Amino acid sequence: MTSSFGTQVSAIARRDLLRERRAGEVLWVTLPFGAIALLLIPLAVGPDAPTLQAIGLGMFWVIVMLFGVLISIRQTNAETQPQRDAVALLGIDPAAVYLGRALASFSLLIVFEVVLAVVTVALYDVPLVGWIWMPLVMLLVGVGLSLLGTLAAGIVSTGRSATALVPLLVAPLSVPLLIAATQTFEALRLGRSSLMWALMMAATSLLLAVAGVLTARPLQETG
Amino acid sequence: MTSPEQKPSPVWPWIVMAAAGLVTFVAAMTVPPDAVQGQLSRILYVHVPAAWLAYFAFGVTMFSSSMYLWKKDIRWDRMAHASAEVGVFFTALLIGLGMIWGKSTWGVWWTWDARLTLTAIMFFVYLGYLALRRTTDDLEVRAKRAAILGVLAIVQVPLVHFSVVWWRSLHQPPSIIKPEGPDMDASMIATLLIAVVSFTVMYVAMMIKRIELARLEDSILIAEQSSAGPTAGDAVAAPDLGGGV
Repeated sequence: MTSSFGTQVSAIARRDLLRERRAGEVLWVTLPFGAIALLLIPLAVGPDAPTLQAIGLGMFWVIVMLFGVLISIRQTNAETQPQRDAVALLGIDPAAVYLGRALASFSLLIVFEVVLAVVTVALYDVPLVGWIWMPLVMLLVGVGLSLLGTLAAGIVSTGRSATALVPLLVAPLSVPLLIAATQTFEALRLGRSSLMWALMMAATSLLLAVAGVLTARPLQETG
Repeated sequence: MTSPEQKPSPVWPWIVMAAAGLVTFVAAMTVPPDAVQGQLSRILYVHVPAAWLAYFAFGVTMFSSSMYLWKKDIRWDRMAHASAEVGVFFTALLIGLGMIWGKSTWGVWWTWDARLTLTAIMFFVYLGYLALRRTTDDLEVRAKRAAILGVLAIVQVPLVHFSVVWWRSLHQPPSIIKPEGPDMDASMIATLLIAVVSFTVMYVAMMIKRIELARLEDSILIAEQSSAGPTAGDAVAAPDLGGGV
């Protein structure tokens, strides 16, 4: 295969999105599951409106992190060994496969975040302070989480308990994204600049992208 | 010929571990108590060496993982595995002792402090590393995947160590290694050094035993994989043509 790197990335992303369109796993399973989780929390902590307003945004980001992992690993887990072999035999750059998968996960994560944000505002009556920042924060969290999930899924790949193990790897490593996402709005609430938190998310994503690209080939060799 | 697996396991690492533990205990119990914290300060002589060994063990995991990726020698993978396991043990000890100290000093078992939280995260990341190793029986695949995570996970160590400098923290900042010199009594520093050296010796002894165990585990795995399993022909029986032919 002699196509450019960008074409390869785009082809892998389109393939994964096509697979998702056929299966509808994110739309019909993960998204409703996330919404149900947001519905269950007030039942556990009590229906006190000020409490729910205070914790709403934090709960939204926790749900995004935990359920976002499921979105970012599903493409890798859905792929069979013959399909992996076919991709390798076609001569597609392993880094392009990594970035293509991450791009597809990113697209799905953005949809997931937007829908859940609407649900959170509706259920928790979250005050709309600094919501102009929301698209940027969603974008950065989506990029970071998709890169991290795709990298972790690549490391665990087809092993035993892969579906359970990837969240164990991703959840602790997604802490910089969770802290930065929540602190962005906390800083805005206190009238401070949120730029440092945005830079933290961007730097995390950059590190993950570099790590993913550098390890793509050795990971492909392990099947 | 005697295979390496049949050699009797050396006893001296156990003796070394016990001796190192005893030295630490005697040193920690004979030094005078801290003027402010009293007897509670003795936790320090296990807590600080445990922290040092957690960092050191994960550093060894990173180094051995890099060496495996370079040399493809399974012995480096065993060393990385052994060190990560010992590191997880000392991280658990570190967190446990810190919680006991925290309850007595701060009045709570746990507080959302940067050092505490990041240490817990480091613990779970390396727990994930150990879990990753159990996902496949293919030695080469396991070693390569674990080596990649072993290299990437080291980013946790500087984050944990410098968290007390980078963020406002309840946990005290460095007391010994700092530009203006240590702010501890000389007897306490000496005891701490004895404990750190003893724990490092203990780490070496633990590593020797764990690497030996890893080698035996691998040899069992290889023996299981190379033993003759059922073949396709086993399912086919010779046709009965009848007539006693």
